[in-house]
Amino acid sequence: MRRAVGSVPLLLMLFFIGHAKETRYSPPGKPKLTSCRSPEKETFTCWWEPGSDGGLPTTYALYYRKENSDAVYECPDYHTAGENSCFFNKNDTSIWVNYNITVVATNALGSNFSDPVDVDVVYIVQPHTPENVTVTVMEDKDGPFLRVSWEPPRKADTRSGWITLIYELRVKLEGEEEWEEHRAGQQKMFNIFSLRSGGMYLVQVRCKPDHGFWSEWSSTTYIKVPDYFPRETSVWILIAVFSAFIFFILTWILNLKSNSVKHCLLPPVPGPKIKGFDKQLLKNGRSEEVFSALVVPGFPPTTSSDCEDLLVEYLEVYTPEEQELILEEGKDLQEGCLKSKGSPSDSDSGRGSCDSHTLLMEKCGEGEGKEEKHQERAQKGKRQQKHQTGWEEGDVSHTREDVLSPDMSEGRVKTWPSVFSPLPQYSSRPLDHQGSLETARQLCLSDSLFPPPSTSSHLSYNAKEGLALGSGQQEFYLGKKQTHPSNPQSQPRWHLQAHSDFNISSMDRKQAASGLQLPGFRSTEYVEVQRVNQEDMVILQPLFSSSCQRDGHLQIGQGEDYSKVKGVDSGNMLLLQREVEVKREEEDGDRYSCDIQDRVTESCYTTSTAASSQVTGKPTSCAGTAMPVQEEMVLAANGYVDQNITSVH
Amino acid sequence: MFSLPVWVAVLALVYLDFPIRVGTAAICAHGQECHAPSLADLFDRVIQQSSRVHGISSELHSDYEQYFFPSKNHIGKRKCHTYSILTPADKENAQRLGREELTEVILRLLGAWGDPLSQLHRSMTQDQNQDFNHYSSNKALEMSDMVHELRSGVTKVAEKMKLLGVISNALGYMSSPESLAPSSVSSSYERGDFNSIDHHDLLYCFRRDSNKVKNYLRILKCTTLPELDC
Repeated sequence: MRRAVGSVPLLLMLFFIGHAKETRYSPPGKPKLTSCRSPEKETFTCWWEPGSDGGLPTTYALYYRKENSDAVYECPDYHTAGENSCFFNKNDTSIWVNYNITVVATNALGSNFSDPVDVDVVYIVQPHTPENVTVTVMEDKDGPFLRVSWEPPRKADTRSGWITLIYELRVKLEGEEEWEEHRAGQQKMFNIFSLRSGGMYLVQVRCKPDHGFWSEWSSTTYIKVPDYFPRETSVWILIAVFSAFIFFILTWILNLKSNSVKHCLLPPVPGPKIKGFDKQLLKNGRSEEVFSALVVPGFPPTTSSDCEDLLVEYLEVYTPEEQELILEEGKDLQEGCLKSKGSPSDSDSGRGSCDSHTLLMEKCGEGEGKEEKHQERAQKGKRQQKHQTGWEEGDVSHTREDVLSPDMSEGRVKTWPSVFSPLPQYSSRPLDHQGSLETARQLCLSDSLFPPPSTSSHLSYNAKEGLALGSGQQEFYLGKKQTHPSNPQSQPRWHLQAHSDFNISSMDRKQAASGLQLPGFRSTEYVEVQRVNQEDMVILQPLFSSSCQRDGHLQIGQGEDYSKVKGVDSGNMLLLQREVEVKREEEDGDRYSCDIQDRVTESCYTTSTAASSQVTGKPTSCAGTAMPVQEEMVLAANGYVDQNITSVH
Repeated sequence: MFSLPVWVAVLALVYLDFPIRVGTAAICAHGQECHAPSLADLFDRVIQQSSRVHGISSELHSDYEQYFFPSKNHIGKRKCHTYSILTPADKENAQRLGREELTEVILRLLGAWGDPLSQLHRSMTQDQNQDFNHYSSNKALEMSDMVHELRSGVTKVAEKMKLLGVISNALGYMSSPESLAPSSVSSSYERGDFNSIDHHDLLYCFRRDSNKVKNYLRILKCTTLPELDC
C-alpha cells in the first residue's frame, strides 16, 4: 500500500511531464508596460501587455519603487482600471517623484520581469475631454457667428491652479473632409465667423495640460446656421456696379471730347514759322536772292496799318519844349506810334542799338549810361511798337544830368536802319526785332568802326558774324570788317548775346541788307531839331559828338542844317531832307518805313530783343535818315544814322 | 597729477552715474500717470516667466537625452541637490501649506538654482563637444538669467502680498535669500569637473524644479486671487 502511495506522485509527475512535453508549457513571456497616464495629476494608471503565458495560468504583478527609496511596493489596485492595469490612487501618487515600475508575469513554470519604466506623474498627464460643449448661433452687424463654449473635464482641478489646461477646437461643414482647427488657449469660449449661410457645422473640442498629452476630441456637436445674405457681398456688388457705371460714363465723355483731350494732353507742336534761308539760293551764292526770298511783300503795311505792327524806325530827336510839342502835333498820324513821353520806363521804348548798354558803356562811358537805361527799358515785350523813342529819349535824356554829352544824347537823331523787315508775323517774333536791332546796331557800329579799330573792339560785339547781312551790306560793314570778318554771304547767324542783347532775325537782316547800301556810311551824327519851319519842315541840326572817342568820326559840318522835314508822306513817314546832298535811296519803301534818305518814320521799329532782357540797346530806332556825313549816304533802309553812335560811345 | 578738467569730468560722470545705478526704470515714463502693477499683473508676469524657464529646461534636457544616452541604471541613482528642500508632492499638501510657506518654498528653490545654473553654463562653454554645446550653452545662459529675474519677481510678488495683507510678515526666508542647498552637493558642483552626465542630471533636476516652481506659483495665484483664469 505504501508503495502504491509513494508511486502516485511519481506517476503524477510523469503524467504532468508527459503532458508538459506535449503542450509545451513554459514560463510566461515577458510582459511589457505600455503606458501610464494620469488624467488629473492626482492619480495615475499603468497598463501592460502580457507576453505569452506559456500555456499556464499566469499572474501578473506590478511592483514599483519610488525615487531615492529602496522599498518596493506592489500595485494597490489591479482592478479599477481594468485588465492588465494598475491604478494608483491619490494616496499612492506623488508628483515630482520618479517611479520605477516593473511588471512580473508568473506562472507555474516561472516568472518573467518586464523592463522597468521610469515615470514622473507630472509628465504623463492626459486629461479627459472637455465637457458640456455648447454651440450657439449669434448675430452681430457682420452676420451670424458661432459661439462655442465648454467646461474643463470634471476631474481636472483648474480652479485651484493645480492643473492648467489649454483648449483646442475644430470645425467643419457637414460633408467636408478637412477640419478647421483653432487654439483657444485657456479660454473656455470661442467664436467662429465667416459662416456659410444655411450650412450645417460640426464642432469638437479637446484640451491638454501645458506639458502633457492631448485629450480625446469631445463628441461632435451639430449646429445649423440660418440663412442670411452676406452683407459684404452686397456691398461689393454695389461697388462694382457703381464703378462700372462711372467707367462707362467716363469712356463716353472721353469719346465725345476726344479731340479736346488730345489737344490738351498732346498740344500740337507749332510748325516752324521762320522761313529761314533758302538753301538752294544760298548755294547759288547770290545773296540778294537769298535775302529777297525772305522778303515778304506787303510788309510793312504802308497804308493805315496799325503802328504796332510795324517796326519802328527809331528817331531820337531832342527838341525844346515847343518844338517837341509841335513835333508831336505833327505826328497826329502817328499817334499811335508815338510813345508817350512820359514812359521812360516803357520796356519797349526803342533805343537804337547803338544805345545798347554795353556799347554805351564801352564806348562813351557816362553818357551812355543814360542810354543804357533807356534801352534796357525798351522793348521788353512790345516788339513791334513804334516808339517815339526818339522823342522819348530825347526827353529822357533831356532830363539826365549827363554832363558829358548832354547834347549828344539829346540831339541825337538816330535812325534805325530799317533792318527790320517786317514780316507777316512780325508781331510774334521777338527774334525779328532782335535781328533788326542787331543789324541796326551793327550798322551803327559800323560807323564807329571807321575810327580806330579800337572802338570796334570795344564793342565786343560778338554777334558780328551773325550779322551777315548780305553783300549789299558789305560796305556797310566796312568799318567792321576788322571785327566782322564774317562773310556776308555766310550764313546768317543768330546771336543772342548777353551784351548785344538782341538777335536779328536773319530775315530781317537780309531784308535790311537788300536795301542797305551804306557804302560810305561811316559815322553818325547827331541831329538836333532846330526848329520847325513854316513848311512843316523839321530842321535838324547836327550836333557834335565830341564825347565819342572816335576820332575819325566824320561829322557833318556843324552848323548846317542837317535836314529838314520835307513832309510827311502817306506812309506816315516823316521825310527829312538834308541840305547836304542827299541821295535818296530808298530801298523798298513798302518794306521799310524809313527811307535812307533821312526819312524818319514815326513808325519806329523796335527791334526789341524781347528775348534778352539785358537788351540794353533797344533798337527802337527807326531807320533814321540822319545821314551821316557821307553824301551818298544812302543809308539804305537799314541805314542807321547816328552821328554819335551812342553805342560806340 | 590730473588736470582740473579731468577731475571735473570724472566727478560729473560719477555724479551722473548714480541715478543710473540706483534706480530701476519706471514702468511708465514721460509724465504718464504711473500705476504700479497690480498683484494680478505681477502674478501673470512671474507665471509667464516661470513657464518660459521650464520650457527652456525641457528643451535642454531632451537635447541631452538625444545626444547622450544615459544608462537606465543611472536614473535611479540621481540625487538632486535640492532634495533637502521639502516641497509638497501633491495637491493636498500644497494647499495645506499656506501662502507664506509656499512662497518661501518657491524662493528657496529659485535661490538654490542660481549658482548651479551659472556653473552649468560655464561648464558647457568649456566642453569639448563644440557643436552641441555652443547651442546649449546659450540656452543655459538664458536659463540662468531668467532664473535670477524670476527670483526677484517672486520677491516682489511676496512684498506686494505682504503690502496687501494677503500674507503675514512671518517669512523668515526672505531675510536670507541665499541657497540652502546641502553643501555636499553644491560642493560637487563647485568642483567644476562637470561632465556630460553631470549636465544631464543637473538638467533633469532643474526641469523638475522649474515645474514645481511654476505649479506653486499658479496655486499661489489662484488661492490669492481666485477670480482670474483659474
